Amino acid sequence: MRLKNLPLRLAKGGPEQQAIEAGEIDAIIDHASSNVILLPAARRALQEAAHEASKANSLLAALPPAEHQRLLAGLEPVTLKFGEVLQEPGVPIRYVYFPVDCAISLVTTIEGPEVGLVGYEGAVGISLALGVDVSSVRALVQATGTAMRMTAAHFDKTFHQCPALQRELYRYADAKLAMARQIVACNCFHAVEARLARWLLMTSDRVRSEEFFLTQAFLAEMLGVRRATVNEAAGPLQRRKLITYTHGRIRIVDRKGLEATACGCYTRIALNAPLRRSSSASPGLASSP
Amino acid sequence: MSRRQHKPRARGAPVTTVVVLRLYIVGGAPNSVQAIANLEAICREYLKDGHKLEVVDVLEHPRRALADGVLVTPSLAKLSPLPAANVVGNLSDKAKVLLALGLKGKVQ
Repeated sequence: MRLKNLPLRLAKGGPEQQAIEAGEIDAIIDHASSNVILLPAARRALQEAAHEASKANSLLAALPPAEHQRLLAGLEPVTLKFGEVLQEPGVPIRYVYFPVDCAISLVTTIEGPEVGLVGYEGAVGISLALGVDVSSVRALVQATGTAMRMTAAHFDKTFHQCPALQRELYRYADAKLAMARQIVACNCFHAVEARLARWLLMTSDRVRSEEFFLTQAFLAEMLGVRRATVNEAAGPLQRRKLITYTHGRIRIVDRKGLEATACGCYTRIALNAPLRRSSSASPGLASSP
Repeated sequence: MSRRQHKPRARGAPVTTVVVLRLYIVGGAPNSVQAIANLEAICREYLKDGHKLEVVDVLEHPRRALADGVLVTPSLAKLSPLPAANVVGNLSDKAKVLLALGLKGKVQ
């Protein structure tokens, strides 16, 4: 292990030094430069983990290996926690997020209903790809999980060198716009019960699980209704044994039944973004061109 | 406005000491993963519910590590009961961890 270049201020023969020599240390905190310095083995392990994790995001997975590799240098895995705000309207975008197993809701204002939902099929902050560096929505973490994150500056630099990424993001931006249109129309015209069913299915698709955690207040906010209205809508779904809902934990018991209850907007809204491509016949995740 | 109520402790009732621990790690790094597993096993075996463990990822919270004077990760700090103690490394040396936690006498 090469430690000569590290600005160590550890006592010679002290427990820290001994642990480093035994290979039991992952990082050194350098108080002089206020930096966390990863040791080579830990760095390699994190890079490998990041490489694996990034494949779980459809936009990143669709890139050819060379572009994927180039992009990976600027990506870092982060854990996003329920309720965390990633972007605010009118505020410059600091990061682009590629979710791996988390879900992020897009809302217009704090009280406003949801206008988009992003999971492993997409990315948050893609306005940067369209030349806009200020967010138009609030991005709120709906389901805790991991995402790959890239700074806006790095994204700006890399985006222009990656034609496949450009193609994927333009296509995804169009799908996202279509989703927003559909959700807005859905919020205006469809019954709360159908919208709730649609929304639960969309969330389940994005977190890739039939079970997830949601508070009633959050549900009410996303659907733009009062909490009592959420209760009224969720009650029949539970009585018909389509879902269970205990202490904020939602479990989809009968997916087919829930799909039948949801409005047609569910099937029209991407995950099936690739359906919009004439060359792609299969629904599901973004695929390589 | 709530009024604080003082409940007199029953004479002779056992006082449970909660061991407060903080583990500084780098999430996903091999020694850190091992340290968490080793510590959880030790806590399960020796401390049961009588402990509080906070895990701090220094990549997510570098300022905390700097403020707390942490030099390397993984690094375990016993904050309470006093005396405070530290162990660094992946915590595979169970005897060393137990000594730091003040549980040395309980080693099988």
